[in-house]
Amino acid sequence: MASELTAPVETAALAAEVEGLLDSAEPEGIYRDTRECGGGLLLAALLLISPPTPRAPKTDAR
Amino acid sequence: MAEQAQENSSLRAVVADVANGVALALDGGGDSYALSALLAQDDAAALAAIRVLGADVLAPYALGLAAAHGGPDGQVVRRALTAYPPGAAASDVSLWSYRGLVEASRAFLPDAEGDWPAEPLPGDAWLRTDPWPKLAHRASQLAALALPGVAPALAAGLAARTEDLSRGFVRAVRRRDWLQAAGVGRWLTRAPDVPDSLGLDVGLVYVRRMSDGDPRVALHTAAARRFAGRGPR
Repeated sequence: MASELTAPVETAALAAEVEGLLDSAEPEGIYRDTRECGGGLLLAALLLISPPTPRAPKTDAR
Repeated sequence: MAEQAQENSSLRAVVADVANGVALALDGGGDSYALSALLAQDDAAALAAIRVLGADVLAPYALGLAAAHGGPDGQVVRRALTAYPPGAAASDVSLWSYRGLVEASRAFLPDAEGDWPAEPLPGDAWLRTDPWPKLAHRASQLAALALPGVAPALAAGLAARTEDLSRGFVRAVRRRDWLQAAGVGRWLTRAPDVPDSLGLDVGLVYVRRMSDGDPRVALHTAAARRFAGRGPR
């Protein structure tokens, strides 16, 4: 009797678990695209070697 | 909560057991294959495991490694399909997997008694629109459908994105996601124009070795070897 009552519950729980296993999320992990990393490095290098922003010459107010 | 976690781990264990049996059969170990003989317990978890592994439970049939085409195996697959149909809110992956199991049953169990369930019509727009990391993830989830005569439309859609799958294979290896790498690699063994620079054969050997004996990884790599002649010997 008890098994008759619990069987639908067990099957419903298993059905949810089946769906979860079929369409499971990706495990945590880090992946860096080499081309994106290369682009970022190039941008950082260009910023570092770029000349300073021209400034207006100082003028004495007096 | 603890009971739920126990059920989950129990199902995972049954899935691993059945996957191990199928992989051994594909590797040529043991006698002729019978799915029903792999199921230690005729209960809901065993049927759920069949639904999780999908068409792969019939993979040895595609190689003629099974004793009979139907009988108890047909009955147990039919019960799994009846017990765990995709729900109204089921994902495309679930629908494709169900469809693949029905197609494989029709193809490999022609002598089974009775009609098979109707095949659902899952969406396929993602084959063209998904960005490559997501495409690779979905493809790996559906690697059980990489069987001869099963889901030809899916195979064709994935073959059209061989380069994206190749990138996904490398990404999965670098993330140490061995199950995804094995699944994507299995599709790539069927794909045309896979670049030699990918090192697919060596990559599959590496994936199997690094997976620490994961039966589902072993199943994918064994299928890649038996159906396409690629990967671990």
